[in-house]
Formats: sequence, structure tokens, C-alpha cells
Amino acid sequence: MRTSSRTKATTQALAAIFWKGVKHYIRYPGNFLIYLFIPFLFTLLIFGMGQFVGGGNATANFAARTGTSNIIVYEILGSAVWMTSWVVVEDVGVALRDEQMKGTLEQNFLAPVNRFTLLVGISLTDVVITTGIFFIVVGVTLAIALPSSFLNLIPAFLTLLVGLIPMFGIGFLFAGFVIRFKEPYVFTQIVNLLFATLTGTYYPVTFLPYWAQFLSGILPQTYVIDDMRQIILANQTLVNLYGSVFVLLALALAYPTLGYAIFKRIEKRAGVTGEFSKY
Amino acid sequence: MNPVEVQLLSKVFETKEGPLFRKAPRSLVAVDSISFGVPKGEIFGLLGPNGAGKTTTIKMLCTLITPSSGDALVNGFSVMKDQQRVRENLGVMLTGERTLYWKLTGRENLEYFAALYHIESGYGKKRIEELLDLVGLTEREGTLVENYSTGMRIRLSFAKALLNEAPVLLFDEPTASLDPQSSRLIRDIIRDLKKKGHAIILTTHNMEEADILSDRVAIIDHGKIVRLGPPGDLKEKVKSNDIIEIEARNISDHVAEALESFSEISKVAVTTADPSGDKGLLRIHAEKGKEVLPRILEFLVRKQTTITKVSFIEPTLEDVFIAETGRSLRD
Repeated sequence: MRTSSRTKATTQALAAIFWKGVKHYIRYPGNFLIYLFIPFLFTLLIFGMGQFVGGGNATANFAARTGTSNIIVYEILGSAVWMTSWVVVEDVGVALRDEQMKGTLEQNFLAPVNRFTLLVGISLTDVVITTGIFFIVVGVTLAIALPSSFLNLIPAFLTLLVGLIPMFGIGFLFAGFVIRFKEPYVFTQIVNLLFATLTGTYYPVTFLPYWAQFLSGILPQTYVIDDMRQIILANQTLVNLYGSVFVLLALALAYPTLGYAIFKRIEKRAGVTGEFSKY
Repeated sequence: MNPVEVQLLSKVFETKEGPLFRKAPRSLVAVDSISFGVPKGEIFGLLGPNGAGKTTTIKMLCTLITPSSGDALVNGFSVMKDQQRVRENLGVMLTGERTLYWKLTGRENLEYFAALYHIESGYGKKRIEELLDLVGLTEREGTLVENYSTGMRIRLSFAKALLNEAPVLLFDEPTASLDPQSSRLIRDIIRDLKKKGHAIILTTHNMEEADILSDRVAIIDHGKIVRLGPPGDLKEKVKSNDIIEIEARNISDHVAEALESFSEISKVAVTTADPSGDKGLLRIHAEKGKEVLPRILEFLVRKQTTITKVSFIEPTLEDVFIAETGRSLRD
């Protein structure tokens, strides 16, 4: 048999996993459409509730607490990042369980491909999906509301890209938990709702109690959402936001390392218990 | 050294069973200190009933399950220490048709797995064409697997196991759910692979398949190898007895137990002869079968069984299993 060199083999495997994911998205398009609509629907829900509770003072109160009167853009940015984090947790975290239920997980694990390559390959598909969500959801919003230049999309997108790395780390962590404990959607739904509550998706995190703000501080989404709002609504640059970019970079190192270490530990245990074959 | 060397391999699953908060730990011995070797160009059959430990053995060999003790070497690499190298030297077909991506085409499935096996892409394309042709799927290579028949999916899964031209091949029930024509095709390919020098391990609960394909068979029950040898030799050992097969209605285990008290009868096994469970099949190992048969029939009539067929048969591997365990492979 003719095999590829190590680097070429890894690239080839990554490309294959990436394209398999893309083909599945194209052939099951419903998920992607839902991901595009949910940010708008949740924004409308929050907007409606805000108007109902705040009455005539709603916009003024909002501006006083957030520094902007552009409620729709503020909420859409939160929703778009939440959706991105949702995709990562759901796709990376559930992907292996999904493969397990389909019967294909063992087939992947039978191949001499590295487990890390498998997880990164799945993540690469998500980079494309989340990029799609970002440009469609945020781009459409900017086109309608136009609070700032379209050029601000670039630094906002860069923030998202850096933020995706620790989010994938969280995904790796959940991939392990899901193999061990099964019931993937119990995990992902609870976690996604917690993320929406803790990361400033619909309101500033300063409204949370201190202990909850500590949790917000260790979640990458908090920084991505805040930076995006600063860039698009307050015309800040990445240089001005260096503090939070630095934290994001640190989290980008910490979460994948921690996530993969825990995944490997659970995977090793799964070999002992025969967990891979259990549905 | 043989391409496959299994040395005192065991697997004990530790589980907890019982009501919530009162679960008690329980150990289940799935494979119990088995040892065997498979040389180049040999088809080695693992034969046993469901739950005997065949699939657990295969999964330990292909690194999906970690052995509790012992070791196995695949082309010289240990399943305990060199898992990546073991996987490089193995082609595996696990049982079932859900081992493929149904939303990918046949060709896309093979391309995907070729990449995971690090097969160089140009060579991989050629290899995929050869394999699609080999299993008769060239014309349907662009069809999504969800639109394949069960037989086509199993043939594709079989082709996938041959992608990396591994020296050691593991096939877990390769012809289960296949029509006779596809089964013949797979068996012919397995024979060709043997001629090319691959070491092949085949698990099956189909005794005819184990008999016609395997050079040697290990009969496995409750995780232990109870007999090992060429099928002809194993059958020779039970030839000293006549084997009587009786198909009848109203056969119970009590009837079988009572028959075993006949001095001429050494073993009796009961299986269901039809899916409705109405008819049973008695397989009786007896000395001087022709002499004892009238008494057996008389006894069965007295026990109100309705006999529909009686025959003397040549021993099969199933009879070897019955002689060793007192149970049928189809139990």
C-alpha cells in the first residue's frame, strides 16, 4: 500500500473529515437554516419582552445601562455569538455521540488517524458554518441598521475566530462527557442556556451577581460578545481592546489543552468499559 | 512469528446492576484467557453462539476494547502498547450495515476512509475503483448509501476493510444478512485474500460458513476456546456417534433432559426450527443410533410431541459444539 508522508496524511485526513461534515450540512440543510433564523427570533423575543416590561422608558433605560440605544444590533450580536457557541458545543460535543449512534464511531476509531485530528477536522467544518452564520446574521443586521462601517466586520470577525479556539476546547470537553454519560442533548441544552445567561448575550454581565460574573469571566463568549459590541457599536479597534484579546488568547491555549486532556482520559476509560459500542 | 499471536487474552467487564442507589458491582467475564496464533495465508474461524465472546475478541484485536489481561500481537505490534501501529496493520469489517455514512455515496465513503487510513490520494483513487469493481458496486458508486440495499451496504463495508491492504484482516459476521449470491461473492474474495497471504480471522455463528471457509476453527463458548483445530479433525472426533435430527412440535427442555438419561445417548440439544417457535429441532448424539431410534420415537410420542421429520445426518461443527457444551449454537 502507498501511504502519504505524516504531514500530508494529516492534511488529507483533516480535509476528508472537513468535506464529510460540509456534505452532511448540505444534504441535511435544515440545521443550518435554523442556526440562521434563531438569532433573529430570540432578538425579537427579547425586544418584545423589553418593550412590554420597560414601556415608554425601555429604550432610555437600555441606553443608560449599555451605552447604546441600538437595541436590535446589540441583541443580534449577542445572539449571533451565542448561536456560534451553540453550533460548536452541539457539533463538536455531540458529533462523536452522533457517530456512535449511527454506528460509524468505531469505524473512525479503527483507522490509524489520530483522535486529535478527528476532533480538529470536525471543528474545521464548524469554522465554515459559524463563519456563514456570522456573515449572514451580522452582515444582514449591519446592512439594515448600519450603526458603523462595514469594514468593522473584519475586526469583529477576527475576534470571533480567536474566540472559536477556546470554544472548540469546550466542545472537546463535552465530546468526552457525552461518550461517558450519553444523553448528549441534556448536556448541550443545559450548557447552551447557561452560556446565554452568563456571557452577556442579551444584557451586560455586570447585572449578574459577583459569583456569576466570575463564571462569565472564564467563558470566551463573554469577551467575544463584548468586543464585537465595542467594535460595531462604539467603533473601537482591536488595539484598544488588547486586554480582552489577550484574555481570549490565554483561554485559546487553556481550553483546548484541558478539553483534549479530559477527552483522552474519558476515551481511554471507554476502551476499558467497552463504551464505544454502547448505544 | 505469526501475523496474529494471541496470548492469554482476557476481558472482564465491570458493571453495576440493581435498583437506583442500591447498585451492586458485577463482573462479567467476556473472554477468558484465550490463546491462538494465525499464520500467513490462513483463515481462522471463531465460531460460537451469540454472546460467546467472539466480537469482544475481535474488538480487543482491533484496539476498540482494552484487554483486562494478556496481550495480542498484530504483525508484531502489541494491542496494549502500539495501538496506532496495530490499526495500520489491520483491515476490519465489523458486523452490521450501519458502519457507513448513509448521506455519502459509496465512493465518497471509501474516499473518506482511505484518507483516514493515510492512503496516498492518487493510489487511493485506483484502489477504490478496484474495490468497487471487486464487490460489484461500480455502477452504483455515485448513489447515496441510504439508497443501497442491505446487501450492497455490507459489500461496501467489506470493500472498506480491504482499502489499506492490511496483512491481517478481521471479518465479523461478513455474510450476515446477505443473499446467497452476495455471500458466495464475499466467500470467494476471502479465499482469494487467503491465497495472497493475508492472515484472516473470521467470526461467525454460521457453522456451514466456518466449515467451508476456515482452515482452522476455534469453538468459543462463555469466553473460552473449547475446541481448536481444522474443521475436518474436529468433526472426526464426534463421528464415533450417530447423529439423529428430529423435527417435531411440543418439544420442551424437559423432554431433552429425559432423553439424555438413555444410556446410548451422550448429548441432546434443542433449537427452534421455525421463526414462529412452533417447531423444535432435536439433535441427538447416540451410540448405535439405528437401534435406539425406535425407543426415542416411542418416548417422544408418549410425551405428546408431533414428529414431522427424522433423519440421520453427517456431523457438522454444530455437533462438535453440542458434544463440548451440550447446547446448540443457535441457542
